[in-house]
Amino acid sequence: MGTIFFELALTLYFAGFLLSLAGVIRKKDDLDRAVFFLSLSGFALHTIYLVVRYIKSGQAPVFSMHEATSFFSWSILLISLCINVHYKARVMSFGIILTFAFMFIAAFFPRSVPSIKPELKSLLIDIHALMAVFGIALFSIAFIFGILYLIQERAIKSKKFGGLERILPSLEILDRINYRLIFWGFPVYTFALVLGLVKYISLLGIHFDLKQVWTFLTWIVYLVIFYLRVKGDWRKKKAAYLTIIGFLLVIFGFFGINLFTKSFHKPL
Amino acid sequence: MSLIVVGLNHKTAPVEIREKLAFNTQNSIKEGLKKLIQTEGINEAVIFSTCNRVEVYVYSSSAFSLQPSAGYESMSNEQQAPAELIKQFLSEFHNIPVKDFEQYLYIYSDRDAVSHLFKVASSLDSMIVGEPQITGQVKDSFEIALSERATSLILNHLMNRALFTAKRVRNETRIGENPVSVSYAAVGLIKKVFDELSKKSILLVGAGEMAELAMRHLIGSGIKNVYVTNRTYKRAEELAREFNGTAVSFEKLKEQITKSDIVICSTGAPQYVITEQMVKEIMPLRKHKPLFFIDISVPRNIDPECNNLDNVYLYNIDDLQDVVDSNILERKKEAEKALKIVEEETEKFFQWLNSLQSVPVIVSIRNKAEQVRQEELEKFKSRFKELPPEVLASVDYLTHSIINKIMHSPTVALKNNCDSKEILIFAARRLFGLDSEEE
Repeated sequence: MGTIFFELALTLYFAGFLLSLAGVIRKKDDLDRAVFFLSLSGFALHTIYLVVRYIKSGQAPVFSMHEATSFFSWSILLISLCINVHYKARVMSFGIILTFAFMFIAAFFPRSVPSIKPELKSLLIDIHALMAVFGIALFSIAFIFGILYLIQERAIKSKKFGGLERILPSLEILDRINYRLIFWGFPVYTFALVLGLVKYISLLGIHFDLKQVWTFLTWIVYLVIFYLRVKGDWRKKKAAYLTIIGFLLVIFGFFGINLFTKSFHKPL
Repeated sequence: MSLIVVGLNHKTAPVEIREKLAFNTQNSIKEGLKKLIQTEGINEAVIFSTCNRVEVYVYSSSAFSLQPSAGYESMSNEQQAPAELIKQFLSEFHNIPVKDFEQYLYIYSDRDAVSHLFKVASSLDSMIVGEPQITGQVKDSFEIALSERATSLILNHLMNRALFTAKRVRNETRIGENPVSVSYAAVGLIKKVFDELSKKSILLVGAGEMAELAMRHLIGSGIKNVYVTNRTYKRAEELAREFNGTAVSFEKLKEQITKSDIVICSTGAPQYVITEQMVKEIMPLRKHKPLFFIDISVPRNIDPECNNLDNVYLYNIDDLQDVVDSNILERKKEAEKALKIVEEETEKFFQWLNSLQSVPVIVSIRNKAEQVRQEELEKFKSRFKELPPEVLASVDYLTHSIINKIMHSPTVALKNNCDSKEILIFAARRLFGLDSEEE
């Protein structure tokens, strides 16, 4: 089903990935424009793939591992492109590397359209799934910026230069992007969880398993981060560390639990 | 023909000499160029004059072969002649006897002159290697020469190649990337922490040449909120006026640091003026917003322990010097890469220049004509196989003499020495399609 668009997007991402890698290793940003345009064209094809799949199957393309991972990498790229344009920060390389990594993983999962129970075929569940994945993507980029912040901060503190910090924007920008991502990511994620919870309880009553508990834990961590960041009185370095912990939790919830329990949201 | 540069720079001549020989205004350069190209034996000229160097590039189209590389002593008379003309010109134009400045001059010819110009344009010969202004200055000088019609085929091409080389060096090496002065290094570091400098405020504690220089660079990078404090309030007021800032009394130091993002400290105090305890108290008051200290004072005025506090960055004079040293080291490495580029481009230019010599051009044109003749003869022979050999011989003779007749006047014209000879050769190469494969 429009698989050709997936392959084409994957190919373009791969090209962008190689160029980015060359840039990061050489610590030069002269390939950034090429990377940007490769990413943008890959993104367009990827969007077509997702839309075609959505229309043909009548359900959001996020219900199998292939779909969820592919939509996740699409979200990551969308966010990276926005950051690149809005902050004029040259961070596209990191975005495309991540995008390609997940797209590559998506390529290994079976591509058939998953059959979901009829009672779950609703716009509500579509929105829940799309927003949850998008929220996780926002958190993931926040995580990347947390790490970049720590790299840059370490270079400045230790007074040793010549590494990656050469192509990184200022601490202030890195921190501001991290903040913005959490600022948007938290409400999106929360809204997705609430939608999911409402539907879940209406179908099964009050009954929770590991996935729900884990998700709740993750949500608490992001709640703390969100609160501390919005309050403002927070040391940036610790904010960066917390974002990393949050990310590890969320990504395990996303991949780990699904893989180990062999099913999405087990009881359903 | 020969290309000559006569010049002096910060390495060869003291400023007293450089200023005497400098062309300080566009008009003086224009006047100089006019005089130069009116001189017998000089066909094209460019004058390049900055505060660190004065150089006169000249092209003289006397019909002598190019020397691959040679010092002045081993130059032929024909190459020495234009150099002498330039010396004479400098002496007359600036009213200084030649013997007063002769010893400070360097004179390069042909290949050396080309590679010298390429190095100059790429900022490899500058006082601060890699500084970017020089390329623009070369371009300006070229434009003045163009507007005065002082250049033609050779120097136009030379100057364009010089600018191209400079561009290559800038794009392909990291030569100009990192700052190599302490005050610029400080600005670079601050930019790694803060984004919009226009929204940040800076506090200068004390005074001092280097601190003031750093302040100037920072203000140049957009910082607008400037505060100055000093033990003597009057001095603070003076400096505040100079930097368009506000004077703050020394008692309010702590309070002012709380409101600042960048603090440059340079007092003569023998002990720490800013202690770790003080900064520890300040940070919560400013909601832990990042604080950048630059301590230029010796002995140090800011407790080095401050660097261990979260969101506090402290660089003292040695730290800055280390950054500069490693940048200089890197520039040196990059300069080697740049020299390779200069070498390549010099070779290309020299090949082009060689192609404008008359003998090889005449030979190639004749070869080409002969080749065409042979090819056509072969075709003719294979088409009319029954023709008796004596007819074939006369066809051979006929075509040969046609070619000789046609080639006669171009050959004479190319061999003749006239002022526009290179243009003629250049045109001949085009007309006969001798370098069709070239760009």
